[in-house]
Amino acid sequence: MKNIVGLIVNPVAGMGGSVGLKGTDGEIHKRALELGAKPVTPTRTKVCLSCIESKDDIAFFVAPGKMGEEYVKALGVPFTVIGTVGGETSAEDTKRIAQAMVDDGVELLIFVGGDGTARDIYDAVGSKVPVVAVPSGVKIFSSVFAVSARAAAEMVDAFVEGTDVTEEQVLDIDEDAFREDRLASRLYGYLLVPNVRSFLQPGKAASSVSVSSIESKKEIAAYIVEEIDHETLYLLGPGTTLEAIADEMGLPKTLLGIDAVFGGVLVGTDLNEKGILNLLKRYEKRKIIVTPIGGNGFIFGRGSKQFTPEVIGQVGRENIMVVGTRDKVGRLDCLRVDTGDFELDKILCGYMEVTVGYREGMMVKVRC
Amino acid sequence: MLKEPIKLNMNEVPYPPPQEVIEAARKGLAKLNCYADPRDLGRLRGLLASYSGVLEEHVVPSPGSDILLREVIHTFSKDRKVIVVSPSFFPTVQAAKQFATKLITLRLSPPEFDLDLDLLMDELQGPCLVIVDNPNNPTGRILLDRQAVEAILESTDTLLVVDEAYYEFSGVTFSDMVHDHPNLAVTRTMDKAFSLAGARIGYIIAGEAFRDAFSSFYAFLPQPSLYAAIEALNNSGYMGRNVRRVIEERERVWSALNGSGVRVCPSSTNFLLVRTGIPDIVRRFRDIGVLITDISNQLPPGFVRVSIGTRKENDAFIAGYIKIREACD
Repeated sequence: MKNIVGLIVNPVAGMGGSVGLKGTDGEIHKRALELGAKPVTPTRTKVCLSCIESKDDIAFFVAPGKMGEEYVKALGVPFTVIGTVGGETSAEDTKRIAQAMVDDGVELLIFVGGDGTARDIYDAVGSKVPVVAVPSGVKIFSSVFAVSARAAAEMVDAFVEGTDVTEEQVLDIDEDAFREDRLASRLYGYLLVPNVRSFLQPGKAASSVSVSSIESKKEIAAYIVEEIDHETLYLLGPGTTLEAIADEMGLPKTLLGIDAVFGGVLVGTDLNEKGILNLLKRYEKRKIIVTPIGGNGFIFGRGSKQFTPEVIGQVGRENIMVVGTRDKVGRLDCLRVDTGDFELDKILCGYMEVTVGYREGMMVKVRC
Repeated sequence: MLKEPIKLNMNEVPYPPPQEVIEAARKGLAKLNCYADPRDLGRLRGLLASYSGVLEEHVVPSPGSDILLREVIHTFSKDRKVIVVSPSFFPTVQAAKQFATKLITLRLSPPEFDLDLDLLMDELQGPCLVIVDNPNNPTGRILLDRQAVEAILESTDTLLVVDEAYYEFSGVTFSDMVHDHPNLAVTRTMDKAFSLAGARIGYIIAGEAFRDAFSSFYAFLPQPSLYAAIEALNNSGYMGRNVRRVIEERERVWSALNGSGVRVCPSSTNFLLVRTGIPDIVRRFRDIGVLITDISNQLPPGFVRVSIGTRKENDAFIAGYIKIREACD
């Protein structure tokens, strides 16, 4: 007896990332297209599906066209299309098709998208069936998501082998606030997922605002600024630790975006991939400074998609500096990367030194 | 009157020292008007050397091993990179942070918490001071074996300090290596296995490179502590028996928790590291009168450290865990 597994892909998820739009909720994906964004879900979906080893034990129920059908067709496995869609897809399509799949007896639902897609799936299926969430959005802060498309495939295999399920959080990140440089989130609900802890990403932990945390950030900032080379371009990633570094330099910082500094002067603010690549052409020596997302440890692939594989590849692993308070880094299992380019992810794996205080580094394993 | 809580938060051994040791401490109390007699300090030093199987000249006693670790870091970190592991014995990390001009922490990642020796060897560039607690607190893991210690000690201009606070529970020691390796020091304590936490007796077994620094280190020990420690070393049979009881209990608690689906790390100490999804678990245990240690400042959420108590105390912990978990389901 085959397991009935559903597949729904949000075709516009993640498109805002490289162009610095911080999401594609509502009509924003059209703006992303205008700015030259390319779809990212095809790669993620193909990687996930191709890595599922239990394909022969699965009967796929898929959403039509680019919402699922075309990927499964390429796999050469039998499938059934559920529902219909018009030219442009929407959140309503996701909800309607997910509901239909549940009605048709789907036992596990794979979806590809970000936090917004997770909320749509939650609205449609609640805790009726377990899901496997393939990360492909700009904002992927909910703990329901697998750490990567490959990990998602292993979760599907685990489900087919009979592993139990557990509840994980779906967060509601206010995209308008996010775009205005504020991170506002609330718990939206829980989805059931195969209970394979090592494949699931921990949810985003709130930034600490304790006195010791503020002092730690100042300590890190003082050290970084003391060590700064004025002949090097610094690309400062998002987060309050990077804000502290900019503050130490006497510069403003886009809290949730990427800014560039050269010779103590701001040479780019809230940059998208194109803006960063333009700067990289002009400056020979360059470094990226990033901080891991509290709770899940991602340094690339979540929240800062402007650091695309192209950008990271040009800068080089040896020029990536990671900073984070001792408390935040201490609470992580490891650092994580999910750039969308698995070969690059493998290069980034291994140990990296994280500056956690004044002249204080912590060697932490990077996993993908 | 309030009931005394069950203390499973300080890695103490739950059995008090035998009557002879208490009597010896009492004799020390009668001399509280005087500083310790250097001859008594010399006797303690000789007994510690004999117990550790090293020459007396290598041994320096102190009121607590944390003071010795702090002294080592203070003395040797000025022109050396200090390398510690994380998580680790908190006073070591604090002292390293306070004194080191350059501090590198090697993160031990769950679930295995292994020390990556290749990574450590890569870090040994230039003058270094490496401090490793073996077994590690709070994971309970053995991080170093003899081969690894040899490799570290062969690195140019590297000093290695191994904190063996839980040596009696692990049975793993490198103290004998100080004779041939001037750049090795081992710190130990009588707080744990000898049931003398209240007396605070620590000691360092120092290789030649450390001994100069400690030649001027002279700590007066409190008279009751000194007398108790001498008696404990003269009649150490109780220590071996208590260690065996603790290990048996540790394995029993480990099996009981593991059997009921709780993730517990294997341990070579008198405590267990438990990973749990129960929120606010330390407070929940405190509410039922059991004290355990929150490790959330050093590890991902959900890790707590539980000392091994008496059978009755351990049963209370296991029953409490099951009750709390059921209430959260």
